[in-house]
Amino acid sequence: MNGVIKRYRFMAVAAGIMSLLLWFVELPVVYLLDNPDLEAKVKWIPFVHGYIYAFYVLAAIHFTARARFTIKRMILFILAGTLPIASFIAERRVMRQFPLS
Amino acid sequence: MMKISKKELPSKIGAAFIVLILCATFIRLGFWQLDRAGEFQELQKPYIERPVINLSQVAIPGENLSDDSVNQIVRFSGKYLDQYIAPNQEDKYGVKSDWVVGLLEVDSGGAILVVRSTSNTEVLPGKVDITGRLFNRQFDDRAKKSSSQLSRIDPALLVTSYDQKLFDGFVLAQSESINGIELDIKRPELDPAKPSVPGYYWQHISYVVIWWLMALVVLFLPFYQVSRKRQGYERGN
Repeated sequence: MNGVIKRYRFMAVAAGIMSLLLWFVELPVVYLLDNPDLEAKVKWIPFVHGYIYAFYVLAAIHFTARARFTIKRMILFILAGTLPIASFIAERRVMRQFPLS
Repeated sequence: MMKISKKELPSKIGAAFIVLILCATFIRLGFWQLDRAGEFQELQKPYIERPVINLSQVAIPGENLSDDSVNQIVRFSGKYLDQYIAPNQEDKYGVKSDWVVGLLEVDSGGAILVVRSTSNTEVLPGKVDITGRLFNRQFDDRAKKSSSQLSRIDPALLVTSYDQKLFDGFVLAQSESINGIELDIKRPELDPAKPSVPGYYWQHISYVVIWWLMALVVLFLPFYQVSRKRQGYERGN
């Protein structure tokens, strides 16, 4: 179970960082600023976020299935990767409930 | 094997229906992103010019331009009804200037906006023959609208002023002759319009992966639910 938790924690932090970058860097640059140079510099953020989120979903399903969570909790864990700080909150809760041995 | 009671049957059928709907939706969203990725790749290819055809073959007055007719080089004839200035227009070199835009009544019916030149040009009476590229109407205002000035090149601004039906979009004239005499005037240049697909190729592909992964997750959840129940049932025994 330790390996599953570690994988989930790592992906939760990575997905959280990418969500923060997406919401607070990429989206404002593209939709609020009219600066093509800056836009070109942040164009990697959405697709890196996309792939990281896919791996986050797999890690969240693996972890919640091993922990025998309900479907509702599993869905909440999956959705946590889409909001900037939700995956950090989920990761902290996992650490509290399943301290690594 | 767990048996389903008659009482549970409607809720099970309902759940299966929801799973199928969600799964189909996610698969469709995946295909939609795949199409966008394909469109994005198409945009990277160089534009291929098509043969010149009559305006009436690609556009109908009072109807929206089809995607296929945008960028088409068309020819038509008629007579000018009026002329306007469209300020702050940008050409393909990024140079801003005021463009002279004529409203031309087409012989085959309807009227169309024609970008004629970057310098003041008289409206001469007589039969006008135009060849030019068809563009979509502009959406953003570049100036204030007045009786002699267009805030953007958009026939919707003139709909109430004329009886005829107006063609959607506008034509950037490449050649213009009046009563058979070719006019030699300075015309603005524009590259063929590129339909805009926001985002990037690999971004759309990543969304394809996510939507199809979600479809798999939705299919997996009922089996997970059954496995949880069975495990709980076995523990209970």
